[in-house]
Amino acid sequence: MKWIKQIFDAQRPLFSDGGKLALLHPLFDAVETVFFAPAIPTTAPTHVRDNLDLKRFMSLVLVALMPPFIFGIYNTGYQSHAAMGLTLDFIPVVTTGLTIVLPVLMVSYAVGLFWETLFARIRKHQISEGFLVTGLLFPLSLPPTIPLWQVAVGISFGVVIGKEIFGGTGRNFLNPALTGRAFLFFAYPASMSGDAVWRVVTKADAQLVDAVSGATPLALAGLAQAGDSVTTLLNKAGYTFETLALGNHAGCIGETSALLCLIGAVGLMLVGVASYRIIIGGVMGVLASGTLLNMLATPTSSALLGINPVYHLVMGGFAFGIAYMATDPVSAPGMNRSKWIYGFLIGVLTVLIRVFNPAYPEGVMLAILFMNLFSPLLDFFEIRFRLRKRVVNV
Amino acid sequence: MITPAYLVITQAEQTKMIAINNKKGFDLKISGKPSGALEPLLEPSHVAVLPAKIPFIKPRLKVQVGTRVKVGTPLFEDKRNPDIRFLAPGGGEVAHIDFGPRRIIREIVIRLDADEEHETFDRLGPSEIASADREDLVKALMAGGLWPFFRALPFRDIADPGRTPPALFVCLDTLEPFHPRAEIFLKGQIELFRLGLEILKRLSPHVYVTAAQANEPLKAQLNGEISHTFKGAYPAHDPGVLLYRIKKAPEENAAWFIHGQDVLHLARFFTLGQYPIERIVTLGGSAVSTGKHLRTRAGVPLAHLVGEVEINDPARFILGGIFTGCLGHPDSYMGFYENALNVIPAPQDPEAFAFARPGTGKLSYSKTFLSSLRQTTLNGDCNMHGEKRACVNCGYCAEVCPVDMLPQFTLKCLLADEIEEALAHGLLDCVQCGLCTYVCPSKIELAETLVKFKASYYKER
Repeated sequence: MKWIKQIFDAQRPLFSDGGKLALLHPLFDAVETVFFAPAIPTTAPTHVRDNLDLKRFMSLVLVALMPPFIFGIYNTGYQSHAAMGLTLDFIPVVTTGLTIVLPVLMVSYAVGLFWETLFARIRKHQISEGFLVTGLLFPLSLPPTIPLWQVAVGISFGVVIGKEIFGGTGRNFLNPALTGRAFLFFAYPASMSGDAVWRVVTKADAQLVDAVSGATPLALAGLAQAGDSVTTLLNKAGYTFETLALGNHAGCIGETSALLCLIGAVGLMLVGVASYRIIIGGVMGVLASGTLLNMLATPTSSALLGINPVYHLVMGGFAFGIAYMATDPVSAPGMNRSKWIYGFLIGVLTVLIRVFNPAYPEGVMLAILFMNLFSPLLDFFEIRFRLRKRVVNV
Repeated sequence: MITPAYLVITQAEQTKMIAINNKKGFDLKISGKPSGALEPLLEPSHVAVLPAKIPFIKPRLKVQVGTRVKVGTPLFEDKRNPDIRFLAPGGGEVAHIDFGPRRIIREIVIRLDADEEHETFDRLGPSEIASADREDLVKALMAGGLWPFFRALPFRDIADPGRTPPALFVCLDTLEPFHPRAEIFLKGQIELFRLGLEILKRLSPHVYVTAAQANEPLKAQLNGEISHTFKGAYPAHDPGVLLYRIKKAPEENAAWFIHGQDVLHLARFFTLGQYPIERIVTLGGSAVSTGKHLRTRAGVPLAHLVGEVEINDPARFILGGIFTGCLGHPDSYMGFYENALNVIPAPQDPEAFAFARPGTGKLSYSKTFLSSLRQTTLNGDCNMHGEKRACVNCGYCAEVCPVDMLPQFTLKCLLADEIEEALAHGLLDCVQCGLCTYVCPSKIELAETLVKFKASYYKER
């Protein structure tokens, strides 16, 4: 460890005030504290402090994101190879996956970090670890065919408009990663929706060998006519419940496997980093509204009304969104009951958008952003309600 | 005249213990608990009082360097009420007065004579307490330098002698690491303690003697005297928490409290007619090899207290508990209110990859370290364990707050100068336990800010 420390000590003057790279001081600082936690003494009156800091807090989210991330690399390669009729062996598939996903990830981190460093420098504070999560969440929520310049534009929008102009981490009321994604979704719909964006096909003359063109389960379900059974339709296209849960199908890089998102979510709930109230509330919201719509379904109504509600949990990005996006503590409510309501309504809205809005096959992104806006209001009412019970002390 | 409801003593209060259950709070599993052994300490050469460590007072010196003092000679008084006096804890000569910035009085040091003289006080005899005027009793307590032991909620300033408090809490057990244990300082002193309670009963219609529910030996020792028992994690023992759990009306907010050991001082004063200087203090904390209880005197030098006990350097000296105590210095002395010296390791070298370690030996409220699966005590130090960040509204502070406050929201009210709103949030209910600051992963000084605003609100009132 000593030699690493020597490297940092040697480079420090370069990044300090007056050094050639003084502008990059926040970056140097961020990297150094990843290697060495500074030994800062506490101040009175609270002499002891918890070992948990934001670095570990956010690192745990990164750890929980690893299963969908690693599977996302494999699946992206797999879908690409399947579409082009190439070998489906493990190593070539992963290699292709890496060549597709890593550039997206690197652009996301590099451009995001540029903005973070710039704002940290201007505001004279340190780079917040929250960015490490945003920088990974964002690429995982994109289709694999996304052009890299759009990744750069999207993360810039997410970090600057979604977070920094409101004062930085802790003051943003929208989830920055989702803000960036929503921007791309509305600004460049051709890259974010349709049937062609979910699989990377590099050979111009490649023959699509797979029976399904690459439509996502949600897009497919939206095509169902009144009277059809969506489940049968999905099954026919190869989207059985197991496939959907395991995630070996086309979709955004990190969102396809509901099972792996569930593993991450359970982990985050066990260590107390993600709120179980939001996650369980969200699942309850989906199941409740799905069941209610089932009851309203008639033979002439839209086929999506009649879909088994459990399918809503495994299709599209719901599992990913509720596990990693909705649980962002900054943009979620702070009060316990509000968290239940917030999660529940995200679930309800997701289903409503999927079922009733043909323009948007996927509803979870908009549902979370919409509920982000309501978090302060939910908190406001719950706090007011709670304060009424206090014995006045002035 | 109708007696206000809070002055009526109910049947239930007279006959049985009321159990108060606290679900919030947090027990820090820190090592260094003082053992139950009580060792007498040799006489020190110097003793001191530390006016700067007494909250809110404005001291006016009554002595200067070279003044000869006896045990019980007034050293300084509070300008806000000159009848509130602080007396010399030793007989000899004032050797040194340490002034800080803006002439704040840090220390008044007395070099002790071999044969110390004691001031004698006109006093009421123990048998006269029950029949004496309340006013005479208060005067005697003030002249005896004992009044400052009474403190008033919610600000924890010295109680106003002109008032009758709605209730008076006697705090016996303490859950904060680490303070003298009640069964040790009460051992053999039960009669004295009962006499102390007699005095307290003249000051307030309700005297609540509080103890931990699990402390069976203490409950047996004090058969019938304990009125309230508490269960739960730190700071369930705090008078502010107990009051918060039992109060029904705003009038009850102004309750007083006194610590168990100080009740013995009141009784000793009336029995002997001398200023009581005997103290039982603890030496503990993770940097101390063998923590223990020590029988010594008020204002003892910390170095004398440590004596031959091994301390792992570098270390921090804390006067009082590790959540609420003040910063001490090895060359300094024990304060007026403090009966504990806790020594914990100071941070040394930066820790490599601290955030990524499994953390089998790391103290934490959260479940993010493997140590949360262990039940053993662990070493705690005074390292921040991270850098300051913006609040991400994780809500840990609200989870631990023993009086159901929402520290993260209250802090935002205060920083926006919305004092009224912060008061509605229960700012004055804050018991200053420091747990919100302890658990904060963003290392925000929540408790410090709340306490600061609370104090400035008090001063402006």
